[in-house]
Amino acid sequence: MSILLSLIIRAVVVLAGTAIATFTLLWNAPGDPALAIARARYHTIVSPEIVDQIRREAGLDAGFWPAFQAWIGPLLVGDFGNSSVSGTPVLPDLIATMSYTLPLALAGLAIGVAVSVPLAILATTRPGGWLDRFAVALASVSAAIPAYWLGLLLILLFAVQLSWLPAMGARTTAHAILPALTLGLGVAASLTRIIRSGILEARGQNFLPAFKRRGVAKRSIERDHVAPHAAIPVVTVFGLELAFLLEGLVVVEVIFARPGLGSFLVSAIGARDFPKVQAAVLLTALVFVVINLLIDLFYKVIDPRIDMGIGGQDA
Amino acid sequence: MRSVLVLITCFVALAVLGPMLAPYDPTAINIPKRLRPPGGEWLLGTDALGRDILSRLLHGARWSLGLAFLISLIGLCIGTLMGLAAALGGKITDWTIMRITDTFLAFPELVAAVVIAGLLGGGTTSLIFALCVTSWMRYARVARGIGLSLETRGYVVQAKLAGLSSFPIARWHYLPALLPSLTVVWTGMFARAILGISTLGFLGFGVQPPTPEWGTMLLDARIHMRSTPLQMIWPGLAVLICVLSINLTGDALRDALAADEKS
Repeated sequence: MSILLSLIIRAVVVLAGTAIATFTLLWNAPGDPALAIARARYHTIVSPEIVDQIRREAGLDAGFWPAFQAWIGPLLVGDFGNSSVSGTPVLPDLIATMSYTLPLALAGLAIGVAVSVPLAILATTRPGGWLDRFAVALASVSAAIPAYWLGLLLILLFAVQLSWLPAMGARTTAHAILPALTLGLGVAASLTRIIRSGILEARGQNFLPAFKRRGVAKRSIERDHVAPHAAIPVVTVFGLELAFLLEGLVVVEVIFARPGLGSFLVSAIGARDFPKVQAAVLLTALVFVVINLLIDLFYKVIDPRIDMGIGGQDA
Repeated sequence: MRSVLVLITCFVALAVLGPMLAPYDPTAINIPKRLRPPGGEWLLGTDALGRDILSRLLHGARWSLGLAFLISLIGLCIGTLMGLAAALGGKITDWTIMRITDTFLAFPELVAAVVIAGLLGGGTTSLIFALCVTSWMRYARVARGIGLSLETRGYVVQAKLAGLSSFPIARWHYLPALLPSLTVVWTGMFARAILGISTLGFLGFGVQPPTPEWGTMLLDARIHMRSTPLQMIWPGLAVLICVLSINLTGDALRDALAADEKS
């Protein structure tokens, strides 16, 4: 229980840190935010009076601390404020982006698992064989391909040259195929390597020959002793995998013009829509922290041997 | 270690000599000769403004590789200092530094870099700042971890008993022990920096045109995907080759170090 508590405290500290860092960054960003909002709102040159009015409305004329309090207070009860460009509440827009981002992320993850698990298992049937070397080479190359380039190559092949699939937008399920592939191949690259070395290491455990000599079936050795052991490093890197997925999402959504969290963030930055940027950043941090917290807990469950220094013990 | 040195030498040579080998001025606009296919006078063709793509790629090496080298070194320095301070500075310092590290890790690095570079308004300075701020944490964790494991080693205890202060201990006992592992982390971060620079360039938050940079080149090439698809291949291929060779070198180094430890 104390571990759960210290993990939660740690997550809260991290979220508070992110909130303060984001706000400080926004506050100190060069350029006049009021002017940027005026430009985004009216698309023309506006009089200084209107800019001043926007400054007052958005609370930008107050000092750092009053402005921070005015932002963080409502946020604590779940109010993300209004977009400084359109004036509409940020939260519904943000939630709407998740209906594009979440399925895409899950599809990418699913493709990654569906490719990497069979590939890694096949590769380890004969370590050092041609299939194994092929899998390792494939994983190394895919890990080095920039996500934006892979996305463009897929568009070039399947949308431009072959005209099989649509590339831009998110109207139908078919629109999600290329973005999901782009994400999935990246995920598959790192997962293949990790699962492969996990299986190889698990096969090297010193008690396995004893089982074998006692006549335990190869199948049950693989199922009961190799597979669980090989799963541990996969869980460990799941947090990194998630970071990779989120990074990929930003790029992929921009390339394929999908209205998800990533393009929401990028367009909000471009328009200097501070409430939107803050909300998107905090949501990303929240998702990331919560999932990492779950991974830490899960890690403890599947590998009871390790009394890890997670939580407060090492601090 | 030797393979890493060879690799660095190759990349530094490419960044320094690349621009000298370029047949044309990378920013010379030549509209009548725009979007030429590869071959003939222009080995890899010309872009939408009639600029020679090969020359732009070679000049781009200075930005993509040179900046990545600089950024990964700055990250290495910040991270190592933070890690050493955490390992040697006592409980409160350690707790504070590790929570700061956690906060920075609480965000996917590249997304954070996009936010920071975008808000600072693009350009090379914001690019360097954004990528440095988001790339020191892994070094800090590794440095602290190894640092803490050194605390009870005989020679460190001896040095402390002999009255050495933290600074010389860090310099003469901790740093040499950290170096191999930090080099492995560094190769990974060098590759990530190349990807980061080109991704930010591609999103329009990085090195600004007309400076040739591989990510920005892709951004330009993307619009002409239908007419001249090959134009889009070259910059991506350049990034891929660099990142792949760095990653493979890093893997080899890690395996060599693991073998050293076993023997």
